[in-house]
Amino acid sequence: MIQGAWLCLFAPLAGAFAITVMGDSITRRTAGWISTLSVFVAFAGAVVSFVGLLGESPGEREHLSTAWTWLSTGSFKIGMTLLVDPLSVLMMLIVTGVGGLIVLYSIGYMDGDPEERRYFAYMSFFVFSMLMLVQAGNFLLLLVGWGLVGLASYLLIGFWHERAEAVAAAKKAFIMNAAGDATMALAFFVLIWQTGTLEFAEAFVGAEGMSSTLLNLVALGLLGGAVAKSAQIPLHTWLPDAMEGPTPVSALIHAATMVTAGVYLIVRAHPLFELAPSIQDLAAGLGALTLLVAGFIALVQTDIKRVIAYSTMSQIGYMFLGVGLGAYGNGMFHLMTHAFFKALLFMAAGLVIHHLAGEQDIRRMGGVRRVMPKTFVAFLVGSLALVGIPPLSGFFSKDAILASALASGGYGQLLFAAGLLGTLLTGLYTFRLFFVVFLGRPSELVLQHAQGSHGRPEEEDASRTHGKTAHGETASHGEGPWTMTVPVAVLTVLAVIGGWLQIPDVWHPFGDWLHDVAEPLVEPSVTQDLVASALAVGLGLVGVGVAWLFYGARSRELPRVAGVRHALEHKLYFDELYDLVFYRPAVWMAGVWRRTIEEPLIGGSITGVSLGARRAGGVLGETQTGYLRSYALAIAAAAAVLVVVFLAVQ
Amino acid sequence: MAGPEITWYLIVSAILFSIGTLGVLLRRSPLIVLLSLEIMLNASNLALISFARLHGGHDGQIFALAVMAVAASEVVVGLGLIVAVSRRRLTLDVDSFRVLRG
Amino acid sequence: MGNFLVWAVWLVAAFACLGSGIAVVSFTNAFYSALALIGNLGSLAVLFLLASAEFLAAAQVLVYAGAVMVMFLFVIAYLGDTAGLPFRGGGPSWVSVGAVVAATAILVEVVVAIGLKAGNALSSVDEIESSFGSPGEIGRVFLTDHLLAFEITSIVLLIAAVGGVILGTRTRAEDELDAQGAAGQETYGRA
Repeated sequence: MIQGAWLCLFAPLAGAFAITVMGDSITRRTAGWISTLSVFVAFAGAVVSFVGLLGESPGEREHLSTAWTWLSTGSFKIGMTLLVDPLSVLMMLIVTGVGGLIVLYSIGYMDGDPEERRYFAYMSFFVFSMLMLVQAGNFLLLLVGWGLVGLASYLLIGFWHERAEAVAAAKKAFIMNAAGDATMALAFFVLIWQTGTLEFAEAFVGAEGMSSTLLNLVALGLLGGAVAKSAQIPLHTWLPDAMEGPTPVSALIHAATMVTAGVYLIVRAHPLFELAPSIQDLAAGLGALTLLVAGFIALVQTDIKRVIAYSTMSQIGYMFLGVGLGAYGNGMFHLMTHAFFKALLFMAAGLVIHHLAGEQDIRRMGGVRRVMPKTFVAFLVGSLALVGIPPLSGFFSKDAILASALASGGYGQLLFAAGLLGTLLTGLYTFRLFFVVFLGRPSELVLQHAQGSHGRPEEEDASRTHGKTAHGETASHGEGPWTMTVPVAVLTVLAVIGGWLQIPDVWHPFGDWLHDVAEPLVEPSVTQDLVASALAVGLGLVGVGVAWLFYGARSRELPRVAGVRHALEHKLYFDELYDLVFYRPAVWMAGVWRRTIEEPLIGGSITGVSLGARRAGGVLGETQTGYLRSYALAIAAAAAVLVVVFLAVQ
Repeated sequence: MAGPEITWYLIVSAILFSIGTLGVLLRRSPLIVLLSLEIMLNASNLALISFARLHGGHDGQIFALAVMAVAASEVVVGLGLIVAVSRRRLTLDVDSFRVLRG
Repeated sequence: MGNFLVWAVWLVAAFACLGSGIAVVSFTNAFYSALALIGNLGSLAVLFLLASAEFLAAAQVLVYAGAVMVMFLFVIAYLGDTAGLPFRGGGPSWVSVGAVVAATAILVEVVVAIGLKAGNALSSVDEIESSFGSPGEIGRVFLTDHLLAFEITSIVLLIAAVGGVILGTRTRAEDELDAQGAAGQETYGRA
């Protein structure tokens, strides 16, 4: 079982290493298969660990395995330690399972891209980093995984590095995550200072003796990292821009796994958060705020991937809401179902984009249903799951969170209201997207690509879409090669049945599985469950209905509230605010320092040395006047001085 | 000994020496510089003679004779230089010989 | 009485010496300077006599005043008007100031040295015979104790004679320059 965990961790790394080392000597396809196989092997390892844990009684399901002592100074030791417990195994399964499907999908999606090998090496590397994050047995290794995941995200967002927008987006993501990393590191420093250790169990025990200010600081630092990684307000602006990366990357990193790392962190470190309840409440509040703001902004987005990105942001807001109120099991449950249907949505969107030769603007799409009926079904399932329509998976997980909110007292009920409003918005924006893209008469662009054979993109599309997708001469017709359609089909099934792991009060294996790791703070009653579900489903359907009115039947005009629309299209001006507050002062300061310190002192000192030497030489050269008389004077003066010396010495 | 003591001779010699120094440093004609140089040499000759008288030995006088001979040779060479310079129609000005200027 | 006479002669000679020295340095006309130098040499010869250096006094007059100064006068006559020019001044001012300072410093130091350091040692004059500075004595010492100095001095004189001859010859190139009548005066260096 432990070997399974180690295999799980290192198989993707071996895959990435192999692809890198073999370089051009393998075909691009082979690189894709190596990467896919490495992730599936990791999945196998995760399954082995899972089965192993299943065989044990609930109280014993925690195994720490240390390979070697990595860092040892004084009394502070950190080992290369893996933790196998229900939470980490759950994450391992999600990451490798969904990840494996997405990497398989990439083989078809990225087919023909000249740098495919680099892509697959990065994907394997990412899976390894994420596994390191979730399997870490102490905070330091978790931080290592955290940072590596950020690196992998940067590399993959900026994969098409010839595009300036992609490079800018990658930098933005990395820098924002760096802010989160910094707060996390500070929190760890405080932990080390106060408790002397970063092992989970000992740190949690030691933290109980800390003052409340310090506990708040630690929790706040961890929350900062979680907020940055999970793209919650205020560190959320990088996620929409991250859609510059290839669609499978968006599916894997920015929907299913990396952005959920923040939620995982809160659940893993929940004892610390429980010792700082105000910070935990803050987390829930931020989640609620984000789910609303993201929902509103998604209403006006015109890029298919950006709508789904804001949707991700919103759903993670739900997860934060859940774990912020102490409903750890429900939060993780939503994490799992969200991984299924969000990856499904991204991949289905990717099928559409791939079919339309890189087009992502929904205003140019329409009636795709006629051309891609299977994708239509997949997208429909994903959308219904997202909105939370029973019996699909999203229904069970989202409503569980809402029920927990309802059961959490006054503050919780306020957040419950926000969550309900969120479901309305979710229905609205999701089905806006669905109706605009799939229903109606096929648009010109869709008709152009209707035959299903993919040639090179045509003239005017070429400039806009170049670099967004890879196109090869695929022999398969229909909606895509089997490497793309099979994962979509699998995820469709999972999106349907995934929620059936936890039906409140009927059977809850999921909650039981995580119970020992993270005991929930709140258990909603049956009534609260039913009330929450009814309201949520009802509002979701209302949202769908409104969307149908405006976008489906096209029977009504959109209300024009000019200022609001403008603000939403500018994503509530967060980017402009950050530019003003952070970017411009930083640039100004850098300029000031360059002028006052860099150029005069450092640059100047170097040229100053050379200039000074030259000038000294020049000055000395002045003594060689050529004047006979001055030379004679020098002799006379020297003689005078020497006489004095002789007299003095005498 | 009759007359002033050796000290006086030495003082005269010192004053003569500084006069000669002034002449060497302040005049621009090489000819006058040579003349001033002669004054300096003579001043040192006077000092040598005085010390010879003081110590009752002939060493100072021999030294003064040698100085005289060397001074004469030096004058020969110096005057030859001045004549050569004037033959080349160059200005006879110590300040204008500045080839060694660095 | 004898002492008084000696003193008087000494004073006259000393002042003549110094006065002519100043005259050499300050006259504009080179001819006058040379003549002043002859006067200087003469007064110095008197001083030598008073210091019991008879042979040297004679040599001074014969060699210096007689031969060297005649050579000087010949060259001054050859150079004509250009001999004494230019007068002092010109050049960087610090040279003039520095020159005065240096000369004064040397003077002061030497006087101080004579006064302070050697005070008593200069009072005791050794006794000498009457033949002290005579040619016989000088000759004897030259050929016995200071033979090396004698020989080397003669070599130096030889070299000077040869050098003088070399400096004095005209080369063919100079003759042609003269023939072409190169007018104007060049100056050396970057003045």
